[in-house]
Amino acid sequence: MLRKDINELLTQTGPGTPMGDLFRQYWIPALLAEELPENDAPPVRVKLLSERMIAFRDSEGRYGLVDEFCAHRGASLWFGRNESAGLRCPYHGWKYDYTGQCIEVPSEADNSSFCQNVKLTSYPLVKVGDLLWTYMGDPAKQPGLPEFEFAQVPPEQTYTSKRWQQCNWLQAFEGGIDSSHVTFLHSGGLKTDPLFKGAKGNEYNMKDTKPFFEVADSEGGLFVGARRNAEEGSYYWRITPWVMPAFTMVPPRGDHPVHGHFWVPIDDENCWTYSFDYHPVRALTDTERQAMIDGHGVHSRNIPGTYRPAANMDNDYLIDREAQKRGETYSGVAGIAMQDASLQESMGPIVDRSKERLVPADSGIIKARQKLRKAALALRDEGVTPPGVDPAHHRVRSAAVVLPQAESFLDSCRDAVTVMPGVPQSSV
Amino acid sequence: MPGTDTRPSAYPSECARATAPGESRFRIDAPIRPARNARVIALDDRATAIARRVADRPWAKAAFYTCQAASDIGPLPEQIVLHRLDATPALLGEVLTGTDVVVVLATEDTGAHYAAAVGRLCGAGGITTAGVVLGEDFEADDAVAALRPYARVLLLSADESDVTELLTALRV
Repeated sequence: MLRKDINELLTQTGPGTPMGDLFRQYWIPALLAEELPENDAPPVRVKLLSERMIAFRDSEGRYGLVDEFCAHRGASLWFGRNESAGLRCPYHGWKYDYTGQCIEVPSEADNSSFCQNVKLTSYPLVKVGDLLWTYMGDPAKQPGLPEFEFAQVPPEQTYTSKRWQQCNWLQAFEGGIDSSHVTFLHSGGLKTDPLFKGAKGNEYNMKDTKPFFEVADSEGGLFVGARRNAEEGSYYWRITPWVMPAFTMVPPRGDHPVHGHFWVPIDDENCWTYSFDYHPVRALTDTERQAMIDGHGVHSRNIPGTYRPAANMDNDYLIDREAQKRGETYSGVAGIAMQDASLQESMGPIVDRSKERLVPADSGIIKARQKLRKAALALRDEGVTPPGVDPAHHRVRSAAVVLPQAESFLDSCRDAVTVMPGVPQSSV
Repeated sequence: MPGTDTRPSAYPSECARATAPGESRFRIDAPIRPARNARVIALDDRATAIARRVADRPWAKAAFYTCQAASDIGPLPEQIVLHRLDATPALLGEVLTGTDVVVVLATEDTGAHYAAAVGRLCGAGGITTAGVVLGEDFEADDAVAALRPYARVLLLSADESDVTELLTALRV
């Protein structure tokens, strides 16, 4: 349960809001690199943290992320001509470089200095892994670039997709640290999904449907350990890291690639869900990569040419009650990603958390909300840099391990939850 | 057909219509009563001090207890003597009667034997148990180990306000 004022604090990320300022301390995904595949590619509309922008890649390969609207008359630069190292508004020909600096105003006299005083708001846009990342905060406080492992391994070892989710970022993100829903909502996927099935750990998952949880602070956020019974005298642990503000990883299964998410607010009622899969020590197989492209695992099958899932609220998520009866899916919705999204979107654009009835198993969510609130207020009131800004905090992994019952997952898994280049994930 | 709404809709589906802006106005707005008849049990001295501070807040149904000395342990878990914050004694078996959630607070290992007893009794009685272990570098490892088999959730934290956050979220 959250008071309405705290719910508003955590869910509003526009300019000048405490959570908006918090998000503006971090590098966040702005778009997939594939959206700007070549120099002078068509510009792309990008809305992040309730700010409308245009992303483009100029003739020299430099990425720009600038105010969407021309400074002259407010026309959208989505119609801009991306040519000769700049983006030109087709209305009256004003031209901007990748920093948003106006470099031509054709109606002004030759050699006029007018355009030097016209600059669109802009943010850095940098390719790391399959993503273009931006930092929308104070340039003087710009942190080091992201060091999440999925974005650091060679291209053949990683795959990232994205999908539009029609709800506030927080209710989408909270699904990422809510391990107790997996046993129910995703139970069909453990048996059939090509990116999940076949792991020994799945048997523990399915045999013990009432996990116990341990939640502990990490430097960048939290570790949430979910514990189930394994063989006599041992527990099966699934360890989920959260790096503030919105990065989570799913514990691995067998030798399948490791996956996770980054939730990015578009505005207060929509977010992007970036979903990744990577293997720390080997290339993804063609079969694995194709399964990801086809929307298996944590990915979604999207409407061609868009990042909107093919199963979405406008078609009732293609719910199949017969498949549900046959036991193929638990909720009737196919695919892990849309099983989550359908329920999270059903809560409404911004769920009223004052009506919740939480239970102790929700402690990870309770703790995460508290950390977000405290970090946002500490930033606002005292200028304290929040956890997760330091790139060193990004070097975490999820893990799945079997431990003797007496052992603490924190003590036993310090190496397993730390990125070690060239070392495989800890998985069962 | 009776009950079938044949009016044209601006929305292409049931889900789109149900989550449209404004639809939340029609959610039933019934008051939510406190759901949990909670017991909060502090296992050691520092945990007791925290429990006293937390207990000062207005709670609907939370009752707070302390474990004061090892000599209070009787032969059966039910006969373990706890104390209310006003120092009056209460048998653990009676404390747990009628509750559906117990939150155990620990800051060190001295309360491990209490943790095990509370955990066992709660486990036998179908009472959900949560443990909040407060401290740096996990000074309460034995308490954690004692609680682990029974506590549905263990929250390991250096932040005392986690206790208040958890109890607030549980509506106790």
